[in-house]
Amino acid sequence: MFENVEQYGLDLHCTMILEEYRESVPVFEKIKEIALNAINRAISENGIYITALESRIKAEQSLVGKLELKGVKYMSLSDITDILGMRVITFYTDEVDKIAAMADRLFDIDWANSVDKRKMHELNSFGYNSLHYICRIPKSMYFDPQMPQINEFRFELQMRTALQHVWANIHHDTGYKSGVEIPYDYLRNLSRLAGMLELADEQFSQIRTGINDYRRQVQQLVSSSKFEEVPLDGDTFGSYLKIKPFDKLNRRIAAINQAEVHHASCVHYISVLKALGFKTLGDVEKLIHDYSDDAYKLATYELGNTDIDIISETVAIQDLLIVYILENGGGEHGLIYMFNTLNGPSDYNTIRARRLVDTASQLPFMNR
Amino acid sequence: MNVTIANEGGKVISAVTGRVDTTNAADFQEQMKPLMSLQNPDIEMDCSGLEYTSSQGLRIFLMLQKAVSANGGKLVLLNMQPQVKEVFDITGFSNIISIL
Repeated sequence: MFENVEQYGLDLHCTMILEEYRESVPVFEKIKEIALNAINRAISENGIYITALESRIKAEQSLVGKLELKGVKYMSLSDITDILGMRVITFYTDEVDKIAAMADRLFDIDWANSVDKRKMHELNSFGYNSLHYICRIPKSMYFDPQMPQINEFRFELQMRTALQHVWANIHHDTGYKSGVEIPYDYLRNLSRLAGMLELADEQFSQIRTGINDYRRQVQQLVSSSKFEEVPLDGDTFGSYLKIKPFDKLNRRIAAINQAEVHHASCVHYISVLKALGFKTLGDVEKLIHDYSDDAYKLATYELGNTDIDIISETVAIQDLLIVYILENGGGEHGLIYMFNTLNGPSDYNTIRARRLVDTASQLPFMNR
Repeated sequence: MNVTIANEGGKVISAVTGRVDTTNAADFQEQMKPLMSLQNPDIEMDCSGLEYTSSQGLRIFLMLQKAVSANGGKLVLLNMQPQVKEVFDITGFSNIISIL
C-alpha cells in the first residue's frame, strides 16, 4: 500500500518523521472521530447552522512535499500541526466567532500557534480571511492509556464563512503558492474580490440581524395586542397564528356537531388576505370581530344537516373570508379567485363558488 | 365499497368506489395501508365512483395524506363527485388534501 520510505529521497531526519506518520495514522483517525463527534454535538446543542464540516488527514505525498520544503523546521511529527485538518464553514461572520468560542470550550487550544487571519490584513489589503485554531483533545474529553498520543498530537481547526471559503478555494486554484508568477492584474482582481466578499459577508450578517430584530419587535407587538401597528406579511402572520386567533370561531363551529378540530396550518391564507387588501394584523382582527357571527351562520347552515364530526382548523378563516367576499360584493368571481389562490385552478372552484352564492342568498347576512 | 391499486409507469393508480361509512371504514383503512407504507409514492386516486364519505372516511383520507407526505410522496384525489367534494369543502379539508 505504501511506497518504500527511502524512495522519496528524503534525508534521514525527514524519513524518520515520515515513518512516524505512517505509524500514527490510526491515532489521527481516532482524533478525527473524537473531534468530529464533539463538534457535531456542540453545533447541534447550540443551534448553530453551518454549511459544512470537513476533515482530512494529510496524504503521504503531501507530507513528503512539506518535508522536502521545510522538514528541517520539525523535530518530530508532533511539531507538524496540520496532519489532521478540520474545517467548519458557516453562513455568517458572527457564527465563525461562535464556533471559535465553542472550540475553545471543547479543546485545549495552542494559542501560540493559532492565528486569526482576519486580523492580519493592513488597512488597505484584502485577502485570505480565516480563523485557525491549533487544538488538542483534552483528557477530560477522551483518554486511552493505550493511545496517549491522542492527547499529544495537535490538529488544525479552520473556521470561515462560505464566502471566505469560496475565495480561498479560487485563490488556491490559481496556484499562487506554486512558484509560478501570477500577473499583477489577476492578483489585484482577486484582492478586490476579497474586499467585495468581506463587505458582502458583513451585509449578510447585518441583514440577518435586522430580520431578527424585526421579528422580535413583531412578536412584542403581537403579544401586546398592538395589531394595527403590525404590517401583514408572511412573518407577522406566522407570529400572529401562534396566538391562535381563529380558535374561538373554530370551537364555535366544532360545537355544531361536537366535532374534533384537526390541526392544520392557515399560513397559506396570507396570499388571499393580501389580495383582498388587508394591510395590517389589525385588519385581520377586524375581520374576525366583524364577520365571525356570519361565518358561524354559514358553517351552521352547511354542517348543521350533516353528521360530520371532524373539521380542519382552516374552517374558521375559510368561512370568514367567504362571508367577507360575499358581503363586500365580490360574488362568484371573488370566491373563485380565493379558491384558485388556495387550491390551484380547477373546475371545482367554479362549482363551489356558485353553490356558496346560492347558499348565502338564503342567509340573513346577504339580505340585510 | 371497493378499492383498486395498480402501478402504471412509476405512478400508483388507485380507485375507490361506493360508500365509505362507519360500517366499512375499518375495511377501507385496511385497504389503504399498502399505500401508507410506500416510499416517495406518486399516488393518483380516482374518486369518480365514490358516492359518499362519512367523517370516518375523512379521517382515513387524512391519515393517508399524512403518511404519504411523511414518506416524501404525493397524493391527488381525482374526479370527485360534487356531493363528496362538498364534504371536503365545508370541513376545510380541501385546503389540506390536493383535489383535482
